[in-house]
Amino acid sequence: MNTVADNRESPAAALVAVRGLRTRIGTKVIFDGLDLEVPRGSVTAIMGPSGTGKTTLLRHMTGQLRPDAGSVRVDGEEVTTLSRRALFALRERIGYLFQNSALLTDFSVFENVAFPLRQHTRLPAELIRNIVLTKLQAVGLRGAAQLMPGELSGGMARRVALARAIVFDPMLILYDEPFVGLDPIALNQVLRLIRTLNRTLGITSILVAHELAAIRQVADRIYLIANGKLVAQGAPDELARQDSPWTRQFFGGEADGPVPFHYPAPDYAAALGLADAAR
Amino acid sequence: MSANLRRHWLLQGIASVGECGLFFVAVLRALPKSLRYWRELARQVWFLGAMSLVIVMTCGLFVGMVLALQLYFTLSIFGGTAALGTVVALALFRELGPVITALLVAGRAGTAATAEIGLMRATDQLDAMGMMAVDPMAYVASPRFLAGVIAMPLLACVFNAMGIFGGHLVGVTWLGLDNGTFWGNMTSTVSLRRDILDGLYKSIAFGGVVSLIAVFQGYTAPPTSEGVAYSTTRTVVFSSIVILAVDFVMTAFMT
Repeated sequence: MNTVADNRESPAAALVAVRGLRTRIGTKVIFDGLDLEVPRGSVTAIMGPSGTGKTTLLRHMTGQLRPDAGSVRVDGEEVTTLSRRALFALRERIGYLFQNSALLTDFSVFENVAFPLRQHTRLPAELIRNIVLTKLQAVGLRGAAQLMPGELSGGMARRVALARAIVFDPMLILYDEPFVGLDPIALNQVLRLIRTLNRTLGITSILVAHELAAIRQVADRIYLIANGKLVAQGAPDELARQDSPWTRQFFGGEADGPVPFHYPAPDYAAALGLADAAR
Repeated sequence: MSANLRRHWLLQGIASVGECGLFFVAVLRALPKSLRYWRELARQVWFLGAMSLVIVMTCGLFVGMVLALQLYFTLSIFGGTAALGTVVALALFRELGPVITALLVAGRAGTAATAEIGLMRATDQLDAMGMMAVDPMAYVASPRFLAGVIAMPLLACVFNAMGIFGGHLVGVTWLGLDNGTFWGNMTSTVSLRRDILDGLYKSIAFGGVVSLIAVFQGYTAPPTSEGVAYSTTRTVVFSSIVILAVDFVMTAFMT
């Protein structure tokens, strides 16, 4: 527990530190020695082509998935070796926004946001009500408290999920693709919320997303992951100016480059049965 | 092991039985923690028990009526219709009550639990609970398992009562058997320990089996529409087979 105390004394230290991460799912290598650091109080975006395991990385940070090798430290605690009890204690201080919001469909909006409070505290009903309404007000959905998740639009569901994620005032929020499938208005609302939460409450945020324009507005730092490794990093503007094949392809949106257009496949001519003709 | 061998249906079957066993251990280990969620347990007992009452009572009534009708015909060949009450009660308490109730509950409540949990898995709700530091085993799996163990014997009792009522309806009211003979022979022959309690033990075991299979199938359902559909079907198929197999084994040890 000493390490935790040490870390709190130096707020500049990284809240999340990943070292030499190696993961393999089935026969596919997801991470092959990944290192990255997320400073306290920052908004960090993790980008990369689809299927590079960005969501997997978030799952490593919360201990939902254990890597084959390497270390993941969150707030000074080594997530990869934490006991279940300690892991749950850590998760109470982390908010996680799922890609599809993952609201509990049998509970109303109000009960969804109240769920973590009811499970982990014995607060009086009046106080729970006040906390929940405060959080819902923060995401602009206090009026929707009695609706069921099925009655919400995608953008509203995501804001409810965000209210639920911040109900314990976490030190860290992990956003898994928070902008996917949102119309421009809803996207800007979510974007504004991420920024407000970070600026006003100092919540460290890690953002997995593809929307470059949105990320440039909110992120302090971008990590670009491809082929299981970190291929580029830096502030958004810095990264956009960098002249590596990876950043050129990713920020220029070129269809082909270091990230190939074609999924690995055997020879095309042979697959069409034209191997003899070609010979 | 070669890939071909690993796909063999027999090995896969054995593997999933092992998985289910490990799942059972995990459910039991989560039980103490799940008592904190007693509200959820009450909700599940309500859903599994109270909501199954209509189907269990209706079926119990008809089974008792058919039983009395068939047995009256058979017994009248030997001139033993006086034993009708006894035979109907024994058949219900020892065998039909626990087994048919379990089959009904597997079809009505087991499938619902599988589909519900399968969909929760598919929509990340179980993962979301884990991320909110709520153990889904303790919040979702264990209460449903415990609810099955609690509700099944109660439902079987209701089934038996309705069955005897149905038997009485046919035997006494319709076919004109003497009311005193019907009840008198039944109460003097049926033993609480040997007949009624043995049946109760059976239905407790069936309750555990049905809810374990239902929850396991839901928990391991592939997160696709086809996956949930297949898992729901498997709940009914496996439950039915295991209920009848366990019934045979328990009967063999009890008699």
